Amino acid sequence: MTATIAPPQPPGPPPAPPRPSRRDRSARACSNRLHRSEHRTAALFIALPVLGFALFVLYPIGFAVVTSFTAWNGITSPVFTGLDNYVRMIGDQYFWKSLGNTVYMMMAIPVGLLLSLVLALAMNRRMRGTTFFRTIYYIPVISSIAAIAILWQWAYNGDFGLINQALGMVGIDGPNWLQNPATSKLAIMIMAVWKGLGFSMLLYLAALQSVPRQLYEAAAIDGASTLQQFWAITVPMLRPVTFFLVVTNIIGGAQIFVEVNIMTPDGGPEFSTATIVWYIWRQAFEYLNMGYATAISLMLGLLVFVVTALQFA
Amino acid sequence: MRHRVIRTAGVIACLAAAAGGLAGCGRGGDPDTLTFMFRGSPAEEEAYTAAIEQFEEDTGVTVDIIMTTADEYATKLRAAIVGGQIPDVFYFDPGSVESYVNSGVIQDISGYIEDSDVVDLDEMWAYGVDSYRFDGEQLGQGPLYALPKDVGPFSFGYNATMLDEAGIERPDPDDPYTWDEWLEVLEEVTQDLDGDGGPDQWGTGLNVVWNLQAFVWSNGGDWLDEDAAEVTVDTPEFAEALQFFADLDTVHGVTPSIAEAQTLDTYQRWMQGQIAFFPIAPWDVPIYQDLDFEWDLMPYPVGRTGESASWIGTLGIGVSAATENPEAAAELVAYLSGDPDTQRHLVEAGIQIPNLVDMAYEYAEDDSTPPQNKEEFLRVVEDYGRALPPTFTYNPQWYDELYTNIQPVLEGRMTAEEYLAQAEPRMQDFLDMANEQAEMSRGTE
Repeated sequence: MTATIAPPQPPGPPPAPPRPSRRDRSARACSNRLHRSEHRTAALFIALPVLGFALFVLYPIGFAVVTSFTAWNGITSPVFTGLDNYVRMIGDQYFWKSLGNTVYMMMAIPVGLLLSLVLALAMNRRMRGTTFFRTIYYIPVISSIAAIAILWQWAYNGDFGLINQALGMVGIDGPNWLQNPATSKLAIMIMAVWKGLGFSMLLYLAALQSVPRQLYEAAAIDGASTLQQFWAITVPMLRPVTFFLVVTNIIGGAQIFVEVNIMTPDGGPEFSTATIVWYIWRQAFEYLNMGYATAISLMLGLLVFVVTALQFA
Repeated sequence: MRHRVIRTAGVIACLAAAAGGLAGCGRGGDPDTLTFMFRGSPAEEEAYTAAIEQFEEDTGVTVDIIMTTADEYATKLRAAIVGGQIPDVFYFDPGSVESYVNSGVIQDISGYIEDSDVVDLDEMWAYGVDSYRFDGEQLGQGPLYALPKDVGPFSFGYNATMLDEAGIERPDPDDPYTWDEWLEVLEEVTQDLDGDGGPDQWGTGLNVVWNLQAFVWSNGGDWLDEDAAEVTVDTPEFAEALQFFADLDTVHGVTPSIAEAQTLDTYQRWMQGQIAFFPIAPWDVPIYQDLDFEWDLMPYPVGRTGESASWIGTLGIGVSAATENPEAAAELVAYLSGDPDTQRHLVEAGIQIPNLVDMAYEYAEDDSTPPQNKEEFLRVVEDYGRALPPTFTYNPQWYDELYTNIQPVLEGRMTAEEYLAQAEPRMQDFLDMANEQAEMSRGTE
């Protein structure tokens, strides 16, 4: 432990240091003692999060791994069933369907990013009312997802919903959004995009404002058009934020649940909106298949991990 | 300085331990305090509070009430059970009896109930009591693990004002319609009153999840064989019933279309007086008192068997295996389930029909409030009601499977026969899995 904060040694064997005097040595011992007590305090500070991690992350993960090899209803003692849950998953059409639905819904992510970038570009200009619009677009982010889901459920109502009324004004006879397997996923995606727009926009806005002005000035002097400036300066400067948003959006998108559960509590017409987390929840708490639900959760965790790792690679 | 830190930490640790110890004492350690966990409406809480006060006065035992909303209840109870903090007295459904008994969550209360002066099992609905018996192998017989909180017959009713206006005779409670007779009435009553080209008054508007049972059972079909080992939906009787159900909309047009029903559900349309025939359960009665049309109960129209059929829901009140004072806990169950004053309270509040048979007949004779034919509720309980098909299976996944992909049948894109032939093997797979799971959790004891 002491070694880690000992003053850095110069590389190579030191040229025979002069024997430390008595005073030096005692000073050293004193500072070691001081360090030791500081280390102890530091260790205490570190111990807390480590303990928390072990208790609330490591232990549950370990527990989940064990549970995934059992049949368990959450009350009686689990029965070891080997790989049964995993084998069952492979043959379970609803597992695949809900996984497919989840992946399908993630197609909303690039659309959302693009829209939020456009919005951020618009908000980045000097014009009146930007604060007002920024607030407007950020409100969905801070609103309760449950409340929002209920509002959207009304908006999607086939006959009286806001959306179809608006469509009706331009002569389009809108579908019964949430009850039609052809539109139900789209309906949830639209809502998810709307909900996430403000957050991505805010990050893009911050990134846009930190792009050094000189770059644009220099490019303008060299005769670059606005579009060229956008592609050659703005887009590359925004890459880190885009990367961050893609990673977090995929992780979040893989776990979409609340909006689905509120807007289509039975998984949508013909299982069309059931997502993987919704299916896990149903297996665990409606069908009392905790073991199976845990196995699916681990599979989902693994998938998310791999996808995230690939993005970093 | 360091010493002070350690001392402070020590004090905090001691406090934490003490708090933990106290909390531990608070739960179940005191035989004179019972916790009662239940779900329900404020009206139910009020009625039960009266019963509980009576109980506290008579026995000197204090009762802590934990009330949750209907949605939260299952999750909270599960957490309490897993965490070993089981309330002394709580609600559960008949489907949970087996797993709770197997895992030692609830206890046999037969002895206490027999000794109790508050209830006499012979005075209660056999269906309600037998739903909570389990002999280790089979449900419905053996020792008693709970008393019914209520029995909920899912009956059928009609808008009498609408029938009168259409010049149709009101249904005879003793002579149910056949499906054909009923269909004639439905067609007659489905009308376009405002002349906009589409009907705005319909014969009926039923939800397949809650109403298919009445038609299938009455036609001689069923979901399962007797041992709950085989799914039996792929039969001509079942197919005919489902087809009849779907045809009401797609062929005969006597119900709001699927789109219309999603816009304003048929429950709302019934209450607005747009629908002639609709299911009615006891919990609907307080709300229906305010309807501005006359309504009453009737037996479900009958299929091939010539007998009406429907389902009954029930919820039980039982006692934790870990309670310090099982005798008092069982006594509380008896008060809540069978005390005449409590029952009267609950009935007056319109929450349920009485658990006590004699009182129920008294209630049925009272025709000062609608429905007039209250006896139909009692007939469902005593005569033609059954438990919902998945009540006694490990989980309802096999049962849900029937409804997950049923939409094409309801829209007329597929025949019932075709669909059921496809659905049965899938349902069977899920049922096998559920039975296997049940077997395994039984094996752990």
